[in-house]
Amino acid sequence: MIYLDAGTTYSKIISIGEANLSEINSFLIKEENDRKYYILPSSMIKSKNLKITKSCGHMSSATENEIIALANGARNIIDTDSTVLDLGSRDAKWIKFKDGKFHDMDWNTSCASSTGATVEMLLKFYNVKREELEFNEEKFAVTCGIFGLEKIMDDISNGTKPVEAISKFVHGIAYNAWSFAKKPEKIYLSGGFCENKCFVESLKQYCDIESLGRFILCEGLINSDKKEDVLTHA
Amino acid sequence: MSSDKIGFWGYPDPEIVEKIKKEYPNAEWIDLDIDYNYPDKNILPESYCKIIKNIINNSLEIKPIKIIAPIGKDKCDSGWFAAQVLRDKGLDIIETKYEQTSNKNPIIISKSNLPLFDKVNTIMNNIITPKKYNFEEVKPKFGFWGVPPNDMEILNLFPNETHIYGWTRCVEAGTPADIDLEMYVDEDVPTVFYAQAFCSKAQLAKYLADKYNGLYIDIDDYANNSIKAKIEAFLRLR
Repeated sequence: MIYLDAGTTYSKIISIGEANLSEINSFLIKEENDRKYYILPSSMIKSKNLKITKSCGHMSSATENEIIALANGARNIIDTDSTVLDLGSRDAKWIKFKDGKFHDMDWNTSCASSTGATVEMLLKFYNVKREELEFNEEKFAVTCGIFGLEKIMDDISNGTKPVEAISKFVHGIAYNAWSFAKKPEKIYLSGGFCENKCFVESLKQYCDIESLGRFILCEGLINSDKKEDVLTHA
Repeated sequence: MSSDKIGFWGYPDPEIVEKIKKEYPNAEWIDLDIDYNYPDKNILPESYCKIIKNIINNSLEIKPIKIIAPIGKDKCDSGWFAAQVLRDKGLDIIETKYEQTSNKNPIIISKSNLPLFDKVNTIMNNIITPKKYNFEEVKPKFGFWGVPPNDMEILNLFPNETHIYGWTRCVEAGTPADIDLEMYVDEDVPTVFYAQAFCSKAQLAKYLADKYNGLYIDIDDYANNSIKAKIEAFLRLR
């Protein structure tokens, strides 16, 4: 059984049992019991001819809605009254539970300018490693990422090091994400930004954080296959 | 000028509609709010309400002999500006304001078991040629609040048990400027609050979505897959 969350930049895969994934063995992240976890560039997925059991994400053949996969993946591992935020390469989405049931949601479906893809491009452009980013008290207003880029360029031309300017941008993204999720006291964080310590430290200025990692949507696909669907509990 | 075509937008004063009908009994009535895919005349800014863009582009393409143009609280300020632009472009504009809020029609179509797409279409087709309907009322599972969207296809995402609220319900009631009715929703019904992007009604849509824990969406032209998925998620999770 192969469960695929196809993000814009990276795809996350959980395989269960004897599924043959020798073609992507070099992307294996970890193994637990009979499960194997992979992360690989989405651009490679099509060429791998994987027999996908269930999928979500930015591909025409996706079989599940991403926010429903997020709800199904997070529901059993979070507090009954809590907010889960998935922040990835292209978009941000959050879902709120009250008394263990779906209560509210939102999904910034169109503008990718203040998400992971922009940060990755900035890191490449300025030749900065993600690990070098550190929390900065200052933050850029990045409601529009394009204006945010302008701030970075101005800051750097005024003598600030690129690593500091990008950190301010990341702080701005953290503040935006918290505001977008309606300013909760605690956020369960899912997606690629879990691994960005600058982002996590920035978000901690506004709320408590618990990282869920990058495989929650895959877990949601598995749960809905096991009929542990959030819809059956509502 | 198209001698057999009368244009209109919004919900014109019915008395004026009847007067024009008598004057031009064989005219075809064109709803200028609808997107007929005519080329953009580059009159309005790039980022602007798509419905007003439709009005301008349709009017300048079709060139109706008369345009019945609501400009009051029953439409919006942009409708008033559009009327001025089109008059300046040489079209015959009859401005109307229809702001009465009494003598409401009964709400039947908005609560009916018709598919949501058909409900909205039936209400809008009833503006110029009113008919009485007697549809079965269904208990609402969901609500749709707002104006008829430029992309009517999004309405097919909703189940038949969706009631209509907002301005479209006001149109069925025959009171398009009735702000109390426009702001009314059934509190227990999970509702999608829709606004056309760059429309001032977005203010109401966002406010009401927050107040009633609904879903606020705005769409510029046509809905992308992500917007559809967002609506689908709301309908499945609520």
